[in-house]
Amino acid sequence: MGKRVMLLVGTNKGLFFYTSDHERQNWNLSGPYLSGWEVYSVLGDSRHGNRIFAGTSHAAYGPTIRVSDDFGSSWTQIEDGPSYSKESGFSLNRIWQIIKGHSSEPDTLYAGVEEAGLFVSRDRGATWRELEGLTKHSSRPNWFPGAGGMCLHTILIHPSNPHRIWVAMSAVGVFRTDDGGETWITCNKGLGRVPTGQPYDEVGYCIHKMTLDPNDSNTLYMQEHGGVFKSTDGADSWFPIEDGLNVSNNDPFGFPICTSNTGDSFLIPLESSEKRTMRDGKLLVYGMLKGSDRWEPIGDVVPNEQQHVNVLRDAATVDTLDPYGLYFGTTSGEVFYSLDRGKNWGRLPGQLSRILSVKMWILED
Amino acid sequence: MHIEISVPSLLSDCTNGQVKFSVEAEKLKDALSKMLETYPLLRKHLYNEEGDLRQHVLIYYNSENIVQMERLDITLQPGDRIHVLQAVSGG
Repeated sequence: MGKRVMLLVGTNKGLFFYTSDHERQNWNLSGPYLSGWEVYSVLGDSRHGNRIFAGTSHAAYGPTIRVSDDFGSSWTQIEDGPSYSKESGFSLNRIWQIIKGHSSEPDTLYAGVEEAGLFVSRDRGATWRELEGLTKHSSRPNWFPGAGGMCLHTILIHPSNPHRIWVAMSAVGVFRTDDGGETWITCNKGLGRVPTGQPYDEVGYCIHKMTLDPNDSNTLYMQEHGGVFKSTDGADSWFPIEDGLNVSNNDPFGFPICTSNTGDSFLIPLESSEKRTMRDGKLLVYGMLKGSDRWEPIGDVVPNEQQHVNVLRDAATVDTLDPYGLYFGTTSGEVFYSLDRGKNWGRLPGQLSRILSVKMWILED
Repeated sequence: MHIEISVPSLLSDCTNGQVKFSVEAEKLKDALSKMLETYPLLRKHLYNEEGDLRQHVLIYYNSENIVQMERLDITLQPGDRIHVLQAVSGG
């Protein structure tokens, strides 16, 4: 069977697909799907047929999860999707992340939402329930949002232990469960706090994105508001990994981080928290290749062009093919890709709207 | 009494693809209830967790904003309409 690859691109005005074969040289753009809706999260799921889950939201009409079983031709809303009770006092504003459950749980999905919380479905997405142990954590009264809202944007599952899950929230921090989500501990030792205005140092950490090393499930990487960090003990503690990021007076600021299945990690640093655009208009991708402890400016994405843009936290990804492909979308609606570990970059066709999420889906035809 | 209801096109996937439809009711409050009973997904998009109309959603009874009406148990008249609208503050 041949492989078909689909790059799922969520924007603030709908969802788009780029489709190619496994060579990834020629891409066809289709969409918009779900036009007019923000698509903060998207997942292609081939565990039971081919289904796309999209976390849709709107400033006026709020969020729901929509699904398509025909590659976007038609969509249905999930009626029993994530929702907070009136008694909780929380408001569901956006669906920031939808991921598949552990490989041993083929009917399971998780969704991370704003206001920050975690939901699980055990029936392929038909019904969802909140994992209340997280929002009932003793630190909850001291959770505060970042500029993007108080979002649970990252969910990582231990590859051999479905009960160990890490989540990251902005501007709250990292939490870990070892019992499948019933109880949680904070995992923020070593990180830099951000000014949320509250004094309790258990929380108040603005995680932008976090990844798990595919070859070592005790190793995690993080782009945080105030720097770039690594953990080698399952997030019990963190230490900075910033050599080579060439910052003068500012912390290394950026949003996405992604890690390949070979252990290479990539960042797209910005000028600063205050400015949030590319330094000097240069769209540079930095990489820390496996075995190295230093970031290198690996790819000048568009050498002859000023790019005063941003790349949001979920707008970069890496596929699992060999060689792996890197992809990201900008706040100005352009999508770039590299098939040589970030050295050379191409631009995919089309000028989209503000890109919120970029996810790869590999299908066996 | 048939009363016509219009909804924004973005919400038409809650109403079987329709932007206009009718419900049978004698009172305005019953017409609003019928709308949500017939198309339950509308409730998620029009009302928040507290059961209040979302901040940027408006529902008009003819030319009156229902949140500014003193009561909703008024008898409907032929030709009355309900309009669900996105407030301009909502983008």
